[in-house]
Amino acid sequence: MTTNIFTLDIIKDSLVAVGEEMFQAMLRTSMSPIIYEGTDFAVGATDATGNLLAQGNGVAAFLAALDTAVVSTLDHHDLDEIKPGDVFITNTPYEGGGTHLSDVAILIPVFHETTLIAWTVNKAHWTEVGGAQPGSVSSSSTEIYQEGLRFTFIKLYEEGRINQALVQVIRDNVRLPDSTIGDMHAGVAAARVGEKRILELVAKYGAPMVLQAMDELLDYGEKMTRAALATIPSGVYEAEDIIEDDGLGNGPFAVKIKVTITGDRLIADFTGSAPQAPGPVNTTYAGLLTGARCLFKAITDPGIPANGGCFRMLEVVCPPGTVLTAQPPAPVSMNFQARNAAVDVFWKALAPVLPQRLPAGHQQSVCATFISGLHPDTGELFVIGEPLVGGWGACHDSDGDAGQFCSSNGETYNIPCELFEARYGLQVAQYAFHDQDGGAGEYRGGKGVVLDYRVTAERAFLTYAAARTSSRPWALSGGQEGSNNYAEVRRHGGDVERFGMCTTVPVERDEVIRIYTATGGGYGDPRRRPRELLEKDIKNGFVTTAQATRDYGYEPA
Amino acid sequence: MRAATDVGGTFTDLVYYEVDRATGQSGQVRIAKVDTTPPNFEEGVVGSLAKAKISPADLDFFAHGATVVINALTERKGVKTALITTAGFRDVLEIARGNRPDLFNFAFHKPKPFVERHLRAELTERTNYKGMIERPVDLSPLPDMIAAFKHEGVEAIAIVFLHSYINPQNEQLAVDRIRKLWPEVSILASHAVSREWREYERTSTTVLSAYVHPIAERYIGTLEKKLSDQGFAGKPFMMQSNGGITTARAAKANPITMVESGPASGIFAAAYVGEAIGYHNLIVLDIGGTTAKCTLIEEGQVKVTTEYYIERDGKNPGYPIQTPVSDIVEIGNGGGSIAWVDVGGKLHVGPHSAAARPGPAAYGHGGTKATTTDANLVLGRIDPASFVGGEREPDWKAVDAAFAPLQLALDMSREEVARGIIRIANANMTRALRLVSTNKGHDPRDFSLMAFGGGGAMHAVALAEELKVPHVIIPVNSSVFSAWGMLLTDLRRDYLRTRMVPLASGSSSLIRDIFGELESEALNDYSDEDQPLTRQDIAFEYLVDMRYAGQQHTVKVPCTGANVGRIDIDATAASFHAAHEKRFTYRLDSAIELVNFHLVAKLVVPKPPLSPKPKTGRALADAIKGQRQVDYDVHGVHTATIYDGLLLEPDMEFHGPAVIQEPSVTCVIPPRHRVTIDRLGNYHIHLSFVEEA
Repeated sequence: MTTNIFTLDIIKDSLVAVGEEMFQAMLRTSMSPIIYEGTDFAVGATDATGNLLAQGNGVAAFLAALDTAVVSTLDHHDLDEIKPGDVFITNTPYEGGGTHLSDVAILIPVFHETTLIAWTVNKAHWTEVGGAQPGSVSSSSTEIYQEGLRFTFIKLYEEGRINQALVQVIRDNVRLPDSTIGDMHAGVAAARVGEKRILELVAKYGAPMVLQAMDELLDYGEKMTRAALATIPSGVYEAEDIIEDDGLGNGPFAVKIKVTITGDRLIADFTGSAPQAPGPVNTTYAGLLTGARCLFKAITDPGIPANGGCFRMLEVVCPPGTVLTAQPPAPVSMNFQARNAAVDVFWKALAPVLPQRLPAGHQQSVCATFISGLHPDTGELFVIGEPLVGGWGACHDSDGDAGQFCSSNGETYNIPCELFEARYGLQVAQYAFHDQDGGAGEYRGGKGVVLDYRVTAERAFLTYAAARTSSRPWALSGGQEGSNNYAEVRRHGGDVERFGMCTTVPVERDEVIRIYTATGGGYGDPRRRPRELLEKDIKNGFVTTAQATRDYGYEPA
Repeated sequence: MRAATDVGGTFTDLVYYEVDRATGQSGQVRIAKVDTTPPNFEEGVVGSLAKAKISPADLDFFAHGATVVINALTERKGVKTALITTAGFRDVLEIARGNRPDLFNFAFHKPKPFVERHLRAELTERTNYKGMIERPVDLSPLPDMIAAFKHEGVEAIAIVFLHSYINPQNEQLAVDRIRKLWPEVSILASHAVSREWREYERTSTTVLSAYVHPIAERYIGTLEKKLSDQGFAGKPFMMQSNGGITTARAAKANPITMVESGPASGIFAAAYVGEAIGYHNLIVLDIGGTTAKCTLIEEGQVKVTTEYYIERDGKNPGYPIQTPVSDIVEIGNGGGSIAWVDVGGKLHVGPHSAAARPGPAAYGHGGTKATTTDANLVLGRIDPASFVGGEREPDWKAVDAAFAPLQLALDMSREEVARGIIRIANANMTRALRLVSTNKGHDPRDFSLMAFGGGGAMHAVALAEELKVPHVIIPVNSSVFSAWGMLLTDLRRDYLRTRMVPLASGSSSLIRDIFGELESEALNDYSDEDQPLTRQDIAFEYLVDMRYAGQQHTVKVPCTGANVGRIDIDATAASFHAAHEKRFTYRLDSAIELVNFHLVAKLVVPKPPLSPKPKTGRALADAIKGQRQVDYDVHGVHTATIYDGLLLEPDMEFHGPAVIQEPSVTCVIPPRHRVTIDRLGNYHIHLSFVEEA
């Protein structure tokens, strides 16, 4: 065989494709809409020691969830305890791969003959892992024990035999056992697809060449990232922000960062962030690392597929026991609140020096909205849980994107109103950009949306959690801050109740749940916005005449 | 005389043959190629007939595949379009689905809507999800709205109301009133474009169809006039994306159905040829200048989907088009794809292409970048003596200059770089082929690979080796396959209707009735334009998109018994379970729901049998042009026998290393694989790993 370098390139590409193929397999095998529609999962492969080789992602929020899970598995088990046919399971938030209990990782060690050469890993949001609240997501838990079952790097399969006792424990402790066990099998199946492809590569090219390709792939990731990092001005950049509330009425909680960039190294130091919260908005170090990697990827090279080599120059520092590095038994069910805040403050620190990569602040939150009730036609229980789109911040050369999911989502789709109305006891009365104040600038923040759900069921219950409900998406270079995320319940009598976080608020038939998502922050002094663009905005209804006069200094001709 | 033309980026292809009016016997298929003539594409069409010395007066049948729709869309050369929606929903077009495929790009911008916000108006009306009109449409704002649109220079209007897929009454009222108020404007209502749910997808489709409507209407009208001025007595048929042809009138009414007509006809031609020679399971690959497209045909059936997008890739959500389109995967890898080295020292091929101009470096039109075609030339796979049909000498100086920077970056010889380019281009195409096969639960060993397009024959065997496909077919006329396919298709209309119905014995009559409504609609549409027809004149196929209750994704299967008016619920359920298991790996005990009814209605066009390739008894040795050194990459450099494809005859047989050359086809066959020629003249390559197993 000639020209080895290209063969190695093709093996590298094939390893990267393993991530994509496992992703497709998971979409194919899962029975849970949150996985195959919400794509709330990640799959991938690492080398024998846990260096990430490739990852298939539906959302941006799992970048450290696979490889660090392998590293921790190796901490818990000596090499001679890890055998062909073993499958490991973990969801503990406090060690490698941890996010919250709902996200469960399945790990398969890949052996060539008797040598461990790689791991394939799947991490997915299971519909149910037990705990105090249906769906295992809670805004009111005070300890991890209320949030569901916890697995800590244990064997689900031992040399090919499934651990029936464990399966029975899971079955007995979750509300939708068939769905949960289905998710478990889908996770194993997706990881096996990866194992099979890696072994096919070994059969075709031989183990030494595949192992060499793995090393080179990591070096390639490092090389590409190093080149990108070198273009970022060295310096120390700081920012500070808050997590508004922990769901129990405590807060705000400070989130701080000091970013130090020295040519070939970036240190993200979150020291000084608030102590862990009593309510479930904490993240652990593993979640913080995932968030930090996500932003690091965004500022280095978002184009090439992520691997462990891409993160060799990143160091994430934060003492234990903060809201970003919670310790057991801290509740973490809504860990995305702290993780998103960490990403956002990191973003805020660097945006001034990386205008081409980072726009102003966005809605930040997934704006998780859960509504349940009995369907008026069938009398059956419906439960809708969905993230919402909002406004992104303005860029240095363009307006912000309007109506996009937040940074921790990604290949996430809104539910068409026509499907939504058929399935749930709600009618969508509007789905439109709103014209609330916020986001003015030489370049405008992208518009958030207003969404009206008229209740057609006898009664429905609203559970809602967002960030930026009182604070606002930050602006850049003299632009105006964005607007707020919040929910309203518009009562029959005309009363309007406003919520930033709430749990199972009853809403009667023909009352309206109105949800606003934030408009993103603006960029630059609004008075510098060219008149023709502003007049177009007025014509398009993106800026009201009152806003034009007050924020942009517009004087009609 | 029967003829078809396909307008490509570079060439307009004409395929034609004589039919003896007395005996019905068909003559030899002949082809002509002329330059494509933008922006007046119809000139090239008429010009191709002139080049072949065909008078339009002699045509009994003329089919045409136009690129006018896809060109107007990708070049943003449609007309100024307005949109009218249900009050509260005019921003659906811009919010779209909110997805960000480019996950880590925080400066992401989703694609711009085709209608600016101030041209998106609303009317108060409401239909609920059961099809009940909760609020009749208030048409009183229309006069002012139309005055504003006129003032803005609007030329087309799209109307999309919620749930109009189930009850179009409010939309229809609005259309009728606008036609009265403003008869000249192009107007499309969503129910005339799609009867499926998902308001964003339906809105996007209606807007895009309206956006190109006046342009398509003008183009088809001009073409009809030019042909009839020259004596053509019939009406031209237009190729659609669903693999069938339709009347010029229907195409003008909803032009978005023509969006992907070229690839569709090639794929349907593949199915037709496969059927004729007894191969029903095909992986189909069409390699052109800038892209490669692939699809899978199972049991002779081409998959047609309404989940189609333009401008969609791994980084861009694109624009959905909810119209029946043959299900293809397209990647940016063709003969003109450019090779480049990134800062990490890694060689890539595509997705950027040198396109038709300047084209590969060897064309000598100023191309400075090495392409896949240049690499094939360097390795001796393309015969320098018959480069571009022998019409020109390769520009070797330009080739050397294009390879030099790559050689420097990789520290390699020209040949080594060329081998790398081919290997990486093949790896890219292999991944696309996996997407349509293994990733959807199919085993490539159960299929034959049928390859066509300018580059299909060049790469097919190497790809089959990689994927472990045992058998490759290079069909006759492979370089003009899309145009030829138009002569092999029928008139076809697809009727899709979203209706949620449980698949249970109690539903049989409802299912039957819904299909009955669709049949009547089809009958009505066809009869409108031709002489009155009866149901027996139309070939119907009954398909249903179904899912397990509580799931979202659907699988399309035939509705058993619908053709005889007695729905076989059990058999339909059984085929659903099996198809679901194949696609998604599991089956459930849950109840099954029908989501979409899909009726395919075809008027069969008489097609003379494919004519066999004449046999003169020529010896194989007489078909040999000579020998040359060919670099087969992993198989090494070999002295290959070069065959003249035009001289090969049925039942001939030989082994690689070989190259078969026709004026615009090069088929590369590595050592040990066996080649046979069938009675129609198609090349079959039987891979050695099967034969030697």
